[in-house]
Amino acid sequence: MKEYLSIRNKTGSISLQLQKKFLYVLFLLVLFSSFVIVLSLSVGSSLISPLEVIKYLFGYGSGEHDFTLYTLRMPRVFLGFLVGAALGVSGLILQGIIRNPLASPDIIGITGGASVGAIIFMIYFMGTFSLNWLPLAAITGAAIVSIFIYALSWKKGVTPIRLVLIGIGVAAAMNAIVTIMIVISETAVTTKAYLWLTGSLYGGNWEDVILMLPWMIMFIPLTLLFSRAVNANELGDEMATGLGVRVQWTRLSLLLISVALAGSAVAFAGGIGFVGLIAPHIARMMAGRMFGGLVFISALIGGSMVVLADVVARTAFLPLDIPAGVFTSGIGAPFFIYLLYRNRHNIR
Amino acid sequence: MLRKTILAMFIALLAGFMLTACGTGEESNQENNDTNENTKADAGSGDDNSSKSADSSESEVRVIQHAMGETEVTGTPKRIVTLYQGATDAAIAMGVTPVGIVESWVEKPVYKYLRDDLDGVPIVGLETQPNLEEIAKLNPDLIIASKLRHEEIYDKLEQIAPTVTHETVYEFKETVELMGEAMNMEEKADEVLAAWDNRVADFKAKVQEKLGDKWPLNVALLNFRADHARIYFTSFAGIVLNDLGFERPENQQEDVWGIKLTSKESIPEMNADIFYIFMSDDEAVHQTYEEWTNHPLWKNLDAVQNDQVYLVDEVAWNMGGGILAANLMLDDIYDRLGLEK
Repeated sequence: MKEYLSIRNKTGSISLQLQKKFLYVLFLLVLFSSFVIVLSLSVGSSLISPLEVIKYLFGYGSGEHDFTLYTLRMPRVFLGFLVGAALGVSGLILQGIIRNPLASPDIIGITGGASVGAIIFMIYFMGTFSLNWLPLAAITGAAIVSIFIYALSWKKGVTPIRLVLIGIGVAAAMNAIVTIMIVISETAVTTKAYLWLTGSLYGGNWEDVILMLPWMIMFIPLTLLFSRAVNANELGDEMATGLGVRVQWTRLSLLLISVALAGSAVAFAGGIGFVGLIAPHIARMMAGRMFGGLVFISALIGGSMVVLADVVARTAFLPLDIPAGVFTSGIGAPFFIYLLYRNRHNIR
Repeated sequence: MLRKTILAMFIALLAGFMLTACGTGEESNQENNDTNENTKADAGSGDDNSSKSADSSESEVRVIQHAMGETEVTGTPKRIVTLYQGATDAAIAMGVTPVGIVESWVEKPVYKYLRDDLDGVPIVGLETQPNLEEIAKLNPDLIIASKLRHEEIYDKLEQIAPTVTHETVYEFKETVELMGEAMNMEEKADEVLAAWDNRVADFKAKVQEKLGDKWPLNVALLNFRADHARIYFTSFAGIVLNDLGFERPENQQEDVWGIKLTSKESIPEMNADIFYIFMSDDEAVHQTYEEWTNHPLWKNLDAVQNDQVYLVDEVAWNMGGGILAANLMLDDIYDRLGLEK
């Protein structure tokens, strides 16, 4: 009996190796995610029965829930899932290329850069320009800062440790800029800025979902192309080079993918933290270390985490609607600790 | 490993169900409140109907120009939701009880000065993130919002009910005007504003008489925070003080919200003839206040030397942001300057 399942094309340019166990886990997670989505669509200020929600999703719903489901809850839930999935995959990629379990989109300047971009927009352009441009400002900030970090880390190639150290330094500098910006801004803008930094799915639109979707459709399959390279990379730069991986090229490409994914997530939902760090860990504990499969698992876990956090944020303190970012760690951390506890014999 | 995974899933599912259960619990409470509300509202609308038949202008469509464009409002709206503090305040000033309001910043959930008038009015969430589902459930026929806070949800609010917005949250007179127009109560709005203008004129006459050439006084509006102090220039209170004829010291005339002072060396920047100080009731804030006011530089300030330093209520002076709060502020100023109202 084979423990691994291989998917590859003739030239071997695409090659995914999946553990059998992965399929079970994937199946369960798909079920779980669907459950989370239906749950989050049915709860809120008024309860809509899950059956009704499922009927609605398949197009047999009655018009009475159009506003609540179609206009309010669905875009918010789907946006949350996409944001979480993007953060999960982004974190997975970073932990893979940096070979450090503490890597997350925050440390390579994505969140910091996006925050600076968003806050500059809020202070200087809000009122003149429509708020619809805020995501663009955020993602531009993320891209500029990430390129900056990569350039600073370059010394005949980029080593993971340089990338991490410079990333942390630049992230600290970005935080300083954010603090200065908040200090000089007026109270109303400060309120908005804090809300953004916490991360919230409040006011999610279908337009946001539609703008976010292409990033996912483009970059998640692209990630899979690198699955073999990442697996080899885990063995160290020399070993990976020996196995025929173009280490620097792979690293740059994956970094760009990671920036694109996390940047788009942060652009639409603000600084939702913790998901990029935790989702890949949970994924690895459930499904082993083969990168190809982990991409899907991390996406599903990240998505479910954010959606669950938002459900709590929307309903726990009714009628108050609280930013989801407050709860992402609240949902992720206990589950993470539980998994660590269950697996304590397997983890050194 | 698989067993562990399943177990983990199971626990997560369980957590999910518990969440739903909690949600349902809240839900039924919520619904009870709502039914009460509805019966009240129904009773109210019964009266409205009788007045409706008497008034033929009820179905007239009016186009309101506001910060986010134009909105059509039909007749005289009866179920109004106010999404910022100043609008809630203005509604009460015009004798209208909103059917939904947002939570207050301090003295939660409703400012003490409005509590009697807003007894039993449901809260629809935070001013920064009002709960859209709650608003929709109230079935309003007019929503008063602020572009500053609610720009991103404006199209959703529009789908619930006609929504008019003000650019900011603290221009209390403009809020009254906008709401008068939107609620088809322009006369009432004019009346409220005229009463304010009369009070302002009365104050100016009395203060001039009492202080002679010392008037107009230079005023500084100070605020202490946990880790810094602020001088407010064009805030809500700034507008009121400006209306009343107070002047700002030369270094505080810039047309911005104000400045933050992070070092006690900046204390001389505060200098003015009279200080009004507001701050939150918080240990760390009181600590800052003590530290700053015990600093040697503080003792040199004109207001301190003339004994013209007043600690004022932050709700009336800053957080309220409406015409009633402005009137409370004015009462306060009369009292402290020893003037007859």
